[in-house]
Amino acid sequence: MSKRITFILSIGILGVLFFILSFPLNHWLSQTMPRHQLIQLPLMLVIGLFIGYQNKNINITNLPWGIAILILALFSLMFWMLPRSIDLTVVYPWFNRVMHLHIVGVGFFISLVFRNIMFEVQMAFLLMLSAMLIATGAVLKTFAILLCSSFTIEQQHETGLYLLSFGILLFVVTLFLFFKGLGKVSNQRSSF
Amino acid sequence: MKNFFPPVLALVFCISIFWKWTLGFSAFTVFSHTLDRAGDLPRSFPNLKMIDQDSALFQIEDKNKYILLNFVYLNCPYVCHKINNRLEDIYLAIDNRVIPTKLELVTVSFDLKNDHVQKIKNYRNHFNNSIQGWTFALPWQMKQHDLESYLQKVGVWAKSTPGSTIINHSVYLFLISPEHKIVRTFDPTRESNQAIIDQLYLCLKE
Repeated sequence: MSKRITFILSIGILGVLFFILSFPLNHWLSQTMPRHQLIQLPLMLVIGLFIGYQNKNINITNLPWGIAILILALFSLMFWMLPRSIDLTVVYPWFNRVMHLHIVGVGFFISLVFRNIMFEVQMAFLLMLSAMLIATGAVLKTFAILLCSSFTIEQQHETGLYLLSFGILLFVVTLFLFFKGLGKVSNQRSSF
Repeated sequence: MKNFFPPVLALVFCISIFWKWTLGFSAFTVFSHTLDRAGDLPRSFPNLKMIDQDSALFQIEDKNKYILLNFVYLNCPYVCHKINNRLEDIYLAIDNRVIPTKLELVTVSFDLKNDHVQKIKNYRNHFNNSIQGWTFALPWQMKQHDLESYLQKVGVWAKSTPGSTIINHSVYLFLISPEHKIVRTFDPTRESNQAIIDQLYLCLKE
């Protein structure tokens, strides 16, 4: 019973957080590119990841479909980083909310897939994600042309710098997890 | 083989969405997307009745010469003035036998709420004293909504940011032929003044 209450409570808190980010804070978060791309979007992903983490009953154990979901998740994140998509989310609040729901969904499915999928796929996903962040960050940081009409070139460069830094950090963490996990996997395999 | 199917299906689906969204991986920004969607060049320039800084009504159709046209709004905090300063440099660099006999410059404001004839007249006075052949204009008797769809037909993205006076917009320059066709678009954020001038001369020769 207490587990059920904790579950309902945590989902409720995440729902309230989603509402606050998507409605009262939406205008403020859409005012600058770093707020929009580095606060609002990642927080939506985190909400989705937590919802998925709380749902222990739903599991995706099928490897091909797990990989398919991770491909969809990566492309979804890429989609919402395209300059055109970013501009439309700022101009049309309804489109921004489509993005919020989509990103929450992406986080939810990543969470479901990640807890059961094989280690190598997890690492491949994290490496591709870090590569994507590094590439996007480098483009935003170095392009002297305004890519998103809703923001300024300074905000574009600032967002690029943070994305680049976060991408490199994620890459280093992934490498660390890879070599740490590699030992465990080879131990498990040798014990068979 | 069965296991191969879901990831490939996901990949094909994602690439198709990206293909559609970016018009075949060619338009990643709202500016380029609006321009691409307007159609390939050369294409007809949608006619527009305008009023100039001297309150005279005119249409691009009536001018049987090349027109270099751009869209601005006078409350723009930065880019419009920068582009117009670039246009002034281009204007001054072009042989005065070409402007205004063969080529004219037209700068149109799309801010129907805040810009008016007197304002564009005052704005024009900030430029070089003798800019004969460079007209500043406003769309004549047009509603904001109709203007937005008109701009989309031309290939210009212009949308207000909610809760702000800023209008996000494209800064393309359109070269319109005497046959009222857009024959060339220039992106002054990517192309130098000299490159634009060279292209203008090339089109005039043709």
